[in-house]
Amino acid sequence: MTCDELDALLPELLDGHITDEQRDAALDHLATCNNCRLIVDDLTTVNRLYEEHGRLHITPEARERIRRLLEP
Amino acid sequence: MTNNVTTTVLDLFDLHADGVYTLGYRLLGDRHLAEDIVQDTFLSALRSILSYRGEGPIEAWLYRIAYRTAIAQQRKRRDFPTDPVDMIDLAGAGSADVERSVLTLELAAALDRAIQELTPPLKAAFILRQIEGLSTRDVAHVLDVSESSVKMRLARARATLRAELKGYL
Repeated sequence: MTCDELDALLPELLDGHITDEQRDAALDHLATCNNCRLIVDDLTTVNRLYEEHGRLHITPEARERIRRLLEP
Repeated sequence: MTNNVTTTVLDLFDLHADGVYTLGYRLLGDRHLAEDIVQDTFLSALRSILSYRGEGPIEAWLYRIAYRTAIAQQRKRRDFPTDPVDMIDLAGAGSADVERSVLTLELAAALDRAIQELTPPLKAAFILRQIEGLSTRDVAHVLDVSESSVKMRLARARATLRAELKGYL
């Protein structure tokens, strides 16, 4: 696998939607390419940071007010 | 029937009010407008849930309403300035995390600043996929674009966020 091929596969790789064959080829490439490994590591961290900290929370007051509007 | 409909929408509200608020706030940059998006989205869901035909997960149907509501609001407001101080404050708004460490607050502020660099289409794709956990297919349904377009938007969003968050990676 080349750097360009890995780049094209990145969305699936980051989302975990790849075949065993693609994963093996990607891992082989990452074992020898520092640049691609850095990119994958960084993007994995970006995803994790937003999964953990990206969600905001509506205030309890607004939640209660809107919920009351929805009740029969 | 009415009670069943109401119960379903209330269940959706309990599960997804924060998600819809996140999408609204990230797209509009204003907490009051984001609350309006939550209200309008769920009132619209209450009115139209009988037209939901099960063509995808119900949360995708809900986020489709939310996205359209937010975009309509965005078009009404030609410019929608965001206040960076307000955004930092909002990093943990409403949550019981007043004891967050300074580092966590800094990180949250950095994540907020970085995501504001994305254009609305990239922002929406990233939030729905990465923060709300919808599948690529469902994100495509919400945004009314192809799956390949969603993948392209995600790739661009991640590249931008990586560059913006360099100091934290």
